[in-house]
Amino acid sequence: MMKLDAIIARFPDLELVELTAWIEHGWIQPAIPPAPDLAPAEWTFDGLDLARVGLVYDLRRCLGVEEEMMPLVLSLLDQVYTLRATLKAMTGALEHQPQEVRAAVLAAMARLKHH
Amino acid sequence: MDDPYKLLGVERGADDATIQKAYRKLAKLHHPDLNPGKPEAEAKFKEISAAYALLSDPEKRARFDRGEIDAEGTEQAARHFYRDFGDRTGSGKYRSGPSFADEDLESLLREAFGHQARGGFAMRGADMHYTLAVDFIAAAKGAVRRLTLPDGATLDVTIPAGLKDGQVLRLKGKGQPGASGGPAGDALIEITVTPHRFFRREGNDVIIELPVTIQEAVVGAKVRVPTIDGPVNLTIQPHSNSGTRLRLKGRGIAGGHQYVELRIVIPSGEEPELEAFLASWQPKHPSDPRAGMEAAS
Repeated sequence: MMKLDAIIARFPDLELVELTAWIEHGWIQPAIPPAPDLAPAEWTFDGLDLARVGLVYDLRRCLGVEEEMMPLVLSLLDQVYTLRATLKAMTGALEHQPQEVRAAVLAAMARLKHH
Repeated sequence: MDDPYKLLGVERGADDATIQKAYRKLAKLHHPDLNPGKPEAEAKFKEISAAYALLSDPEKRARFDRGEIDAEGTEQAARHFYRDFGDRTGSGKYRSGPSFADEDLESLLREAFGHQARGGFAMRGADMHYTLAVDFIAAAKGAVRRLTLPDGATLDVTIPAGLKDGQVLRLKGKGQPGASGGPAGDALIEITVTPHRFFRREGNDVIIELPVTIQEAVVGAKVRVPTIDGPVNLTIQPHSNSGTRLRLKGRGIAGGHQYVELRIVIPSGEEPELEAFLASWQPKHPSDPRAGMEAAS
């Protein structure tokens, strides 16, 4: 778990206001205790949040994605990750089915692909 | 690391804007979080990022150009990419809106597995697909086979005589039940016919290769031949050659015939008398079985 200042320290030219804005947009969602008067300094970030800051940082800084494009890009990315998770869950569920069921599903998928 | 200019695909004299443009173009292609299904993207992205880190720093770039430093030593510290968080990336707080994921999963499942549809209007149940393997004789003569479905129920499948490999049987109304009064779907059963040890099929004819001795082929014989309806007697005429096809009328599938292809088998052990006879044998009608092959070669 990390606090806001530890996150800022990881990225050379990232200002506190910019990171706070990202959080306000909902692009990054640190754990914010349910006290309305809690200072941002008390927000906590885990490894997933840190990696997400890295992703947003890369999109804005390295890849030059404009600020108004960010919701679109993040939404598409989140859809990809959500679909991958769904697919993985389905694959996992299939793995525990009897051989006949797996074969039938694979055959049905092959048929649908050819159509 | 390779030459950073080559990695980014820019000239040595390229200006900063060109280098940044080249880097952004490559980074968009190879950023690991944009390529969750491509493990190799991370190495590529690190390479071009390191190249850009070197070339975008005027001092480092000048020293590199003068040959004072090589391209190494600019690697960034180890980093966890977003995609490395596996299961947590596609679920929990960063999943794309709940309305999307739930509805989507449900409709996906309904389409893939034919789950009963929600809602009030009548819908036909989904067709279910199964595969069933039957042996050659059962497919030729017809049979009834019991299929155990994944849910434990059973389905008696009548295999019509003469069924071919890969044919699909449709059992009407044996698929998923319909919703809200809609009719049930069908069960579609794809049949695979397992090959037989010695029967094979050409249309409705059954072909069998029958080994015969030299003696049987030369002087003729009555032999027993298996057919799909049990063994029958077959007369082999004298002077029957290897490859001769004899027909057993109506012994095939659904009115087809059975063809018997003779294959002469010479004795496997020593036969001194036969060998002595053949060595001194003067054919009455000498002929060269390979005559006519020379021209072709």
